[in-house]
Parts: sequence; C-alpha cells; structure tokens
Amino acid sequence: KKSCGQVVEEWKEFVWNPRTHQFMGRTGTSWAFILLFYLVFYGFLTAMFTLTMWVMLQTVSDHTPKYQDRLATPGLMIRPKTENLDVIVNVSDSESWDQHVQKLNKFLEPYNDSIQAQKNDVCRPGRYYEQPDNGVLNYPKRACQFNRTQLGDCSGIGDPTHYGYSTGQPCVFIKMNRVINFYAGANQSMNVTCVGKRDEDAENLGNFVMFPANGNIDLMYFPYYGKKFHVNYTQPLVAVKFLNVTPNVEVNVECRVNAANIATDDERDKFAGRVAFKLRVNKT
Amino acid sequence: MTKKTLEIYSVELSGTKDIQQTDKGNGKEKYRGLKNCFEPRKNHYKEELRKEVDLDDHKLSIKELEKKYDTNIITGLSSTQAAELLARNGPNALTPPKETPEIIKFLKQMVGGFSILLWIGAILCWIAYGIQYSMNTSSSLDNVYLGCVLALVVILTGIFAYYQEAKSTNIMATFNKMIPQQALVIRDSEKMTIPAEELVVGDIVEIRGGDRIPADIRLLSVQGCKVDNSSLTGESEPQPRSSEFTHDSPLETKNIGFYSTTCLEGTATGMVINTGDRTIIGQIASLASGVGNEKTPIAIEIQHFVHIVAGVAVSIGILFFIIAVSLKYQVLDSIIFLIGIIVANVPEGLLATVTVTLSLTAKRMAKKNCLVKNLEAVETLGSTSIICSDKTGTLTQNRMTVAHLWFDNQIFIADTSEDHSNQVFDQSSGTWASLSKIITLCNRAEFSPGQESVPIMKRVVVGDASETALLKFSEVILGDVMEIRKRNHKVAEIPFNSTNKFQLSIHKTDDPNDQRFLLVMKGAPERILEKCSTIMVNGQKQPLDKNTAEAFHTAYMELGGLGERVLGFCHLYLPADEFPETYTFDVDTMNFPTSNLCFVGLLSMIDPPRSTVPDAVTKCRSAGIKVIMVTGDHPITAKAIAKSVGIISANSETVEDIAKRLHIAVEQVNKRDAKAAVVTGMELKDMSPEQLDELLTNYSEIVFARTSPQQKLIIVEGCQRQNAVVAVTGDGVNDSPALKKADIGIAMGIAGSDAAKNAADMILLDDNFASIVTGVEEGRLIFDNLKKTIAYTLTKNIAELCPFLIYIIVGLPLPIGTITILFIDLGTDIIPSIALAYEKAESDIMNRKPRHKKKDRLVNQQLAIYSYLHIGLMQAVGAFVAYFTVYAQEGFKPSILINIRVEWEDSNVNDLEDSYGQQWTWYQRKYLEWMGYTAFFVGIMVQQIADLIIRKTRRNSIFQQGLFRPQYWFVAVPFAILIWVYDEVRKLFIRLYPGSWWDKNMYY
Repeated sequence: KKSCGQVVEEWKEFVWNPRTHQFMGRTGTSWAFILLFYLVFYGFLTAMFTLTMWVMLQTVSDHTPKYQDRLATPGLMIRPKTENLDVIVNVSDSESWDQHVQKLNKFLEPYNDSIQAQKNDVCRPGRYYEQPDNGVLNYPKRACQFNRTQLGDCSGIGDPTHYGYSTGQPCVFIKMNRVINFYAGANQSMNVTCVGKRDEDAENLGNFVMFPANGNIDLMYFPYYGKKFHVNYTQPLVAVKFLNVTPNVEVNVECRVNAANIATDDERDKFAGRVAFKLRVNKT
Repeated sequence: MTKKTLEIYSVELSGTKDIQQTDKGNGKEKYRGLKNCFEPRKNHYKEELRKEVDLDDHKLSIKELEKKYDTNIITGLSSTQAAELLARNGPNALTPPKETPEIIKFLKQMVGGFSILLWIGAILCWIAYGIQYSMNTSSSLDNVYLGCVLALVVILTGIFAYYQEAKSTNIMATFNKMIPQQALVIRDSEKMTIPAEELVVGDIVEIRGGDRIPADIRLLSVQGCKVDNSSLTGESEPQPRSSEFTHDSPLETKNIGFYSTTCLEGTATGMVINTGDRTIIGQIASLASGVGNEKTPIAIEIQHFVHIVAGVAVSIGILFFIIAVSLKYQVLDSIIFLIGIIVANVPEGLLATVTVTLSLTAKRMAKKNCLVKNLEAVETLGSTSIICSDKTGTLTQNRMTVAHLWFDNQIFIADTSEDHSNQVFDQSSGTWASLSKIITLCNRAEFSPGQESVPIMKRVVVGDASETALLKFSEVILGDVMEIRKRNHKVAEIPFNSTNKFQLSIHKTDDPNDQRFLLVMKGAPERILEKCSTIMVNGQKQPLDKNTAEAFHTAYMELGGLGERVLGFCHLYLPADEFPETYTFDVDTMNFPTSNLCFVGLLSMIDPPRSTVPDAVTKCRSAGIKVIMVTGDHPITAKAIAKSVGIISANSETVEDIAKRLHIAVEQVNKRDAKAAVVTGMELKDMSPEQLDELLTNYSEIVFARTSPQQKLIIVEGCQRQNAVVAVTGDGVNDSPALKKADIGIAMGIAGSDAAKNAADMILLDDNFASIVTGVEEGRLIFDNLKKTIAYTLTKNIAELCPFLIYIIVGLPLPIGTITILFIDLGTDIIPSIALAYEKAESDIMNRKPRHKKKDRLVNQQLAIYSYLHIGLMQAVGAFVAYFTVYAQEGFKPSILINIRVEWEDSNVNDLEDSYGQQWTWYQRKYLEWMGYTAFFVGIMVQQIADLIIRKTRRNSIFQQGLFRPQYWFVAVPFAILIWVYDEVRKLFIRLYPGSWWDKNMYY
C-alpha cells in the first residue's frame, strides 16, 4: 500500500520528527537518559570485569604457574625453524639456505663463549643445579654455561661451510622445551638420538655426528626456574651434522630424547619428547 | 434458460479459481509489501463470495422441470441418459479438499525458520573443507564433521516438527471416514437402489424418514416430511417440507431438500437438481476450501522473531567477514569465522522448544476438552479479541426444552438446566393435572427401549424435537409416562400436519368409574383457541370470555417474544351417552367433536442455553473479549438467547428496544444510546463494508441473525479489518468457510459436522462454550511463557557470539568452539527452556485485555535489548573471566594472549613461550584451548542457571512467584556426604590392600 515516496517520508520522520522533536524515535531527554544509563551500566560492567580479573591475577604467582598439568612431557623442537619443519638445502643455490644460516647465527649468538663466561656460572656436570630460595623469596637464580664451542663442527665459528649448508652436510639443532621445575632425566644421564623414520629413510640418511658427543644433555641445565628469576638461562642444545645424506631424496628424520622421566610415545602429541622433520639435500 | 444455468455454475467456477489463488497465496504472504498488486483481483474474489446462493428450480413447475432436465417424473431417466450425464458431470460426491503432499510438508519444515541459515552454515563448512583440501590434501576433517552436525541438526529438528504436525493431523483422520450411501431411484420406470455417488441431475429419488438426502432435490410429492436443516441453516427445529413453492430464497422455500441434510420423518419424492460440488453444500465446501488459511498470530510472531535473529546473524556475520578480510585474514579463516558467528547467533534448539511447549499446552487443553488440530492455534485463542459464536449447540443445548407454562392466567418458569432436576412451579392446581395429562397423552414420542439406567435427559427418543421435549418434561415431573399411556389406552389419533396445525388423540381414561373418553389436542395456540369455547382456571371450566382471550394473547405474545415456540393444549371429555365404550372413532370422517373444547394452557419451548455459558461469557467480557452471536436462526430467538447468556447484557438495549420503550419511530432514536444491536442477514446484505465496520466498532454487543454462510464470512472479515484476532465457533457445514477464514476456527466435537471439523483449528470435545475460556487462559499463559523461554534462550547468544568477535579482533585463542555452542543450544539449554512453559501466571491473566496483534509482539525491542545487551553481555563478561582464569593459571596471562592467534594455531610451532618462559607444543596448547572451551561453557552454564531463575517472572519478585523451598535442597545433603565418604573409604582400602577380597569385589 505504501509508495516509495511514503517510505522515504516515514524514514525522514523517523530520523527527525519535527512535531514531537524526536530524533530516531527518541526525544532529547530520552536520548540523554538512555546514554547515561548505558554509560553507567557498561561503566559498572567494565569495573566489575576489571575487579574480577585483578582478583584472579592476584591468585596467580609471578614465578611459577599455578598448574603445569599440561606440561608433564616437554616437547622437542629443531632449529633452523622452517615452514612445515622441512630442512631443504639446495647446495648450489646459496639463497635457499642463506636465511637458515642467518637465523642460526642469530640463534647461537647468546651461546658465544664470551657472553656465557660473562653472565653464567661454570657448573659441575652430571648433577642438577638446584638453587633453593633459602628463605629469601624469589631469589634471583644463576644459570650454567653452555658454550658455543661445545657444538664443535656445528658451532659455526670460523666455519666457511656455513654450518655445512654449502657442502650439503647440514647441521640441525635440537632443543628441549623449557618447563619450570622439571628435573629432566630423573637424575640419570640423558641423550638425544636420531633415526630415519622408515627403513629407506635410515638408508638415505647416511652417517651423522652429534655435538656434544653422543647427543648428551647434561643435568646441570635443570631445573629451570622461570624467565623472571632465571634471567640468563641458557637452553642446552644438541647439534646433529648429517654427513652423507642421499641427495635429491626426502628423508624423514625423527629425533627423540632418551630420559627416564620423558615419555616419547604419546599418540596424539607428535612433539612430546621427540621431533620429526624432513631433510632434503639437493645437488646437481 | 442457458444463461441461468451458467450463473448457477458460476459459483463453482470461481471455487476452482479460488483454490488456484490460495496455492499462490502461500508465496504471496512472504511478500506483504507486494500485496497491493493483487488487490484488484482480490476484490473480485470477495465479490464472488458475497454472491448469494443462486438457484431457481424451486420456482419452476413440474412440467418446466421435466423439460429443463429432460426427464420424466414417472419413468425417470433412462440408464443411457444417466450414464451420459454421469460421465459429463462427474460423480455425485464432494471433491475432497486438495491436500499438500507429505513430501512438500516435510521439505517445508526443512527450509523454514532458521534452517536456511544453518544450511548455509553447513555448506560453508563443506566449502571451507574444499578449500583446505585443495591446499593440503591431508587437512583435518573437522569442518566436514561440523557441516554434517549442522545438517543433522536441521534434519532432526525438521523431522521433529513434521512429526508433531503429523501427529495432530492424524487425530483428524479419524473424523474423516465417510459412510457409503445408497439412494432409491427411478430409472427406466423401475425402482432401483444405487450408490448415491451415481446419481445424476434429473434422477427421480425417493426419500424416507431417517435417510440422508443424497443430492439437492426439488420435492415433487411429500407425505409429512420433515428435514433437519440445522447443519445448513442453523435452525434447530425440524423443517416441514412440501411440494409447493413458498419462498423466493431457495434456502427458505419448502420444496427443496438439500444434500447431506437428514429426512427425519415422512416420505417424499424428488428430482435431483444438483449433484456433487454443485449442490448448496458443495458450494459452501468449495467456498471453505477457497478461503485461504490465515497465518496464526503465533506463526507471525515467530516469523518476526526469526527475522530479527536472522537479521542480526547475517549482518554481524557479513560485517565481521568484511572486517576479517580487511584485517588480512585468509578467506578460509574468514569463512570459518562466518560459520562460527552464524552458529552462535542461531538458537538452534528454540523452534523445537517452541513446538514442544505448544504441544505440551495442547495436551493440557485436550484434557480440558479442547482438541487442538493445529499446534499454533494454542496461542491464537489467547490473543483472541472477538469470538463469533454460533448459537445452536454451542451456546445452547441443541435440544428443545420446555421453558415456560401458562395456565390459570399465570406464567410459570420451568427449569431448563441440563438435568431439569429443579421444577419449582406450582403443581397443585387442578389445571396442571389436566394439562399434564394432555402433555403425556397427546404425544407420539417414545423412549428407545433399554435405557432405564440412563438419566432421563440423556435418553434417546424416537420422535421430533418438540414432542421429545414434552416427553422428557412429563417424564421428569410425572414419572413413568409409558405406564400412564398404557393405563389411558389410545383409541384414535390424528398426527400433526401442516394444514391442520394440530395433533389429536382420544383415550380411555384410567379412572374405572369414569366411562367417558378423553379427547386431547395440542397445536398452534391460535388454532387451538379457535376450537375452544371454555377455559380451565384452577381446575374449573369457565366460559371463554373476552378477558381470558385477552390474557391468552398477552401470554402468547410474551412467550413468543422470548423467542420460544408456543403450543396450546385443550381437552374434552366426550359425553358417555353419545360416545359409549364401544364407539368406533374414525379419524378420516372425524366422527367426534373438534370444537367447543376446553382450553387448558400454553406451553413454550426453547433450545435453552447451556448452564455454563453465561459465566463463560462474563469471563470473556472481563478478559476484554467481545462475544458476537452469529446464527442462522430467527432474530427473536437469537436475541432471547443472547440476553439469557449475557451476550446482550441485562441493562443494554437495542435501537428497537429504545424505540419501543419511548414509543417513537426507530429512525428517531439516537443510535449512540444503544449498546446492543441485532442485525439480520437481510440488513447485512445491504450494508457496505464501511457500514459494517461502523457497526462493529460502535456496538459492543452484537447479534447477527438469519445469516448465510457467505455473510458469516463477511462478518469475520469485518472483524479482522478491526485488527482483531477472531475466533469463530460453529458446528454446521454452513460455518465451515467462516471457521476457515477465522484466525482460529473452533468446531464442536459432538454436534459438529465433518466439514466444520475439517475447517477448524480446534475442536471442543464437549461442545461447551465454557471450554473456550479455559483455552483462552492457556493461550495467554503460553504466550507469556514463550516470551520467557525466548528471552532465556536469546541471552546466551551474545555469550556465544562475543568469543568469535574477540577472537577475530583481538586474536585470542578461540574461547569456545562451534560444537560446544551446539552442545549448549541443543543440549543443556533445551530442558530449562521447556521448563519455563510450565511457569504459572504472574497475575490474573483473565483480567487484562487481549494483546494487540500489531503492538504486543512476542519478541519486542525491549526483550531483545535486555537479553542481548544487558544480561547477555554480563554473561559474556563472566564467561570470559572464567576463560582468562584457566589460561592464567596454566601459564598464559591475559597480556600475552593478545594477538597470539597465528602462532597459537600453527601446528609447526611447538615451542611457544608462555608468560613464565615455558615452552608449549601445539598439542599441549590445543588441550589448553579445550580446557578454555570447557571453562567458557561452564561459565555460560552457571550464569544460565541465574538467567533461568530470573526468567521465571517478568514483573513479580522471584520470591513472590515461589521457588522450590530452599530448605529442601539440603535434606539429602547428609546422604551426598555419605556417598562421597563411602567411596573414599572404598578407594583407600583398594589402594592399601591390592589383590585382597575387597579389591576384587569393589574395584571397577
């Protein structure tokens, strides 16, 4: 029944009704009241939210999380960090691995012997470096040295092969996730081992050497006390140098940590105590 | 002649046109704005409806008829002619109303309401998977599953709604059975019995008492035939038939018998003039099927609500899709956001909840004798503002009952309640003794045998309505009537016929000393008075002088004015010397006196109102519902009944009443003074729609009398023009178009015809108007409670929606997953929202006005804003606090969560650092995310409990409304503690003594 003009007219009247002085169906006072109401209402709601959040955060400690039930098994991860965890090296194409090298240089910088010597203690290997608070609340913790030189051929120091990337013998660094107050290895020595996932992978993988020798991770790097109080904590690394990977073939490598208190057989979490990655060295 | 015939068929033609129109009408209702385009056609269609029944065969002589239908009244049609006509005109049966195929009904459920949105969601899921698959063939099937779940939700709710609908339709299927009918017909000069379906125009049929008339017939010869036209015209009295043309209107004339009416007594021969859909009944039936089903108010409300929610969902969805794309999210992600927003916004369980709620109420109403055919009609009754009630059977008991007596110059009132138990008039007078004797003896009606244990008023009687009334009346007062008749042996009898207008019988008396015969007579009062020379007063014979005659006339007019049917009674003791015991009476020669009799009294009968009706009408009044009577019966009767049930209240007058009181002409009366109006069909015919509107608005108490089916329809339309929600009650075929047109049609379960039941939305199993009041109450309650249910359900939508919005904008880990949302909507929220349907009324809902169809919406702005922006936001905030708590206590403080989304969801990042420097693998994070879902879910759940409690009332305090008393919550607490302690002990022993007897038996 309504024509187009009437609809427009009704809209106009809705937006501003000169008879009743209503703007969008409300008078000035009505708008004032409604705005005031929502200002107060949402102001109160925001205050309530802030208050409850503040109360909640009071219950959360600064140096250890309240619960760690999800972190029973630390995960393993590799460096260089690549997309889809594929380490692909085109020997002839320096650009393909240069970014990896840059990342690794940056990653290993804090491990330089000079920095380590300056900031961290020399600890006794083979035992945990425990630092109880001894009555002083949240006493700052010291960290143990992990020198870059410990990584041997993979340290990259004065290395013309760029961690082996330019020669098709790449280094891959393996590190274990930090978990606060986790005593990895349960007082027994632990190490990282790598294998080809399937038989053909094992064949294609060829030989590799690990630094520190045998892929050992020393107990002295544990426990971790959290980033706030364990400021210069240096995460132990294991470097794997693959010496003669069959070129132009994708090799599935799986590395796992062998420790008494780290299960590596979680069906759903593929990174619990282990890490799988693809390695491909392209040579022409 | 051909022109005339065409006109007769024209109604039928427009009938099919109407059907086509309603088919398109379904689509049309969706586009209300376009309606004006159809206006001219619609007007035309209304004109067609207004057309009165067009038939002129009753005016023709037999010769003309024979010529017109090419038949012969002695020999009938030849079988070849009949076969030809049958082939041409089709069988003599009503075309059953066109039914929507089941599959269409089913598919409609699948695409109605929110289903479309959910289908879109499901399809988006599959598209998202398609994109994922094209990028990475090993992508997870999560989206496929979600799509399937959404599709399943739609299909299941669709099946559920279909099942509910089918269940209520099935109730009706039982009413639809038709008994095959036979007809006695003359063909090829031979009488034969054929199925009534094979009758054709021109057939000569014979009818006997008890038969259903097999087609519209023009009566050719009649012997004492009476028909029950109540299903067609609403007249409760049997109508005498004759072969003479008595009235211009085919409905009034006596020489036409209508299809599907019943011949009560006598015999008749007639010529078939119309068969099947062309009969009057057929035309009404096609009129009914031509009237489109109005959308129920609740359906409109739900549609309105669906529009609001769908509008919000689509606009937020699209807005955030655009935001997501402009925030450089991938299209795939944006699609997934869109799905989340749609799923969060659509209350998946709500429509099912509404259906359950309505069917619960329907069940409750069925217990109170209101059978609801169409679930949505449950609420319609609650919003009803005008009830157009049929008189016969609904307001009245549908049986003639003695209402008044006049003897000894006095009017006595008889009890007309359902059981007649309380007859208080003076029975000591000698006149009553004589009168009661006449009533008992001059009566051919008899109780069917074997009903001794049945209450008198419920017994089945063989005989016509007024004789039945008299029989039951005398049985109640005098006791065993059959015994009295046996003692007063009947020696001669002249049954009632329309020319004599009296009934007479002669009896031996039960007094052994009195050898005289007693002649008793009853009939039309003026005829009886003519035959009398004396009158009995206080048991004494007195000469009938002018004064007594005057008194008689006053009484007669007064009773007639009450709309009652008056009978006069007289008797004469025949002198023993002239009429000895051996005298043979001959009823043909009338060898006995039929004049100079002694007048005894008058007795008037009416179809009395049901005793519960006046109270129900009052309740309707206080509930703001206008009750209008629409009947086919005479205005005087209609007005009398309307007055006695309160449709016209005691102190209101019609224009005519005022004129009579002031002794002025009707035209001089100020129309504003009159509150009530009695309008006849003839007056209505001349009214323009504007005049009708004026009538309906100006008078609060209206009675329409002598209305035709078409006019009922016009009245209903007139009421609907006033923005009223109209309920129509009726039982006859004549009511079915109006029943269908009404917002809610209410048919009578006992007296109702199949056509009426088919057209109605609701059936009153006890035929009692008072049940409607119960229905109104339930309907209003369910509207209030649905409001609460919807408010409850809508609230959590915001709490479900906010996580997605925050997730998109702030980049937190997703606080709640789509499946979890479905779990709330279809799991935990369903039962509480159904429970709200059982909430009792907050105030006296029968004391307020019916809701305004356009103003009092089910979901109004206030409800939406309060649910969404007040309670909903609080809920969202609360749930977010729960979510942040879980993350903070596990290591991720709120500050670090901002914009963490991309790394968080990258399955290649397995050393993501938290606020404490710990590193998380992807799966560990995922697990934490699920904990977050649970926290958010529980957060919503806990607040929904509070929401449920607040929704119990809208105005009253919860403490006024009453909760389950708090102390009862603690009664079982000791046992709860016992269970806990016992189980701890069990577990302790299992740990302490592994492998022991205890361990073997108790460890599971």
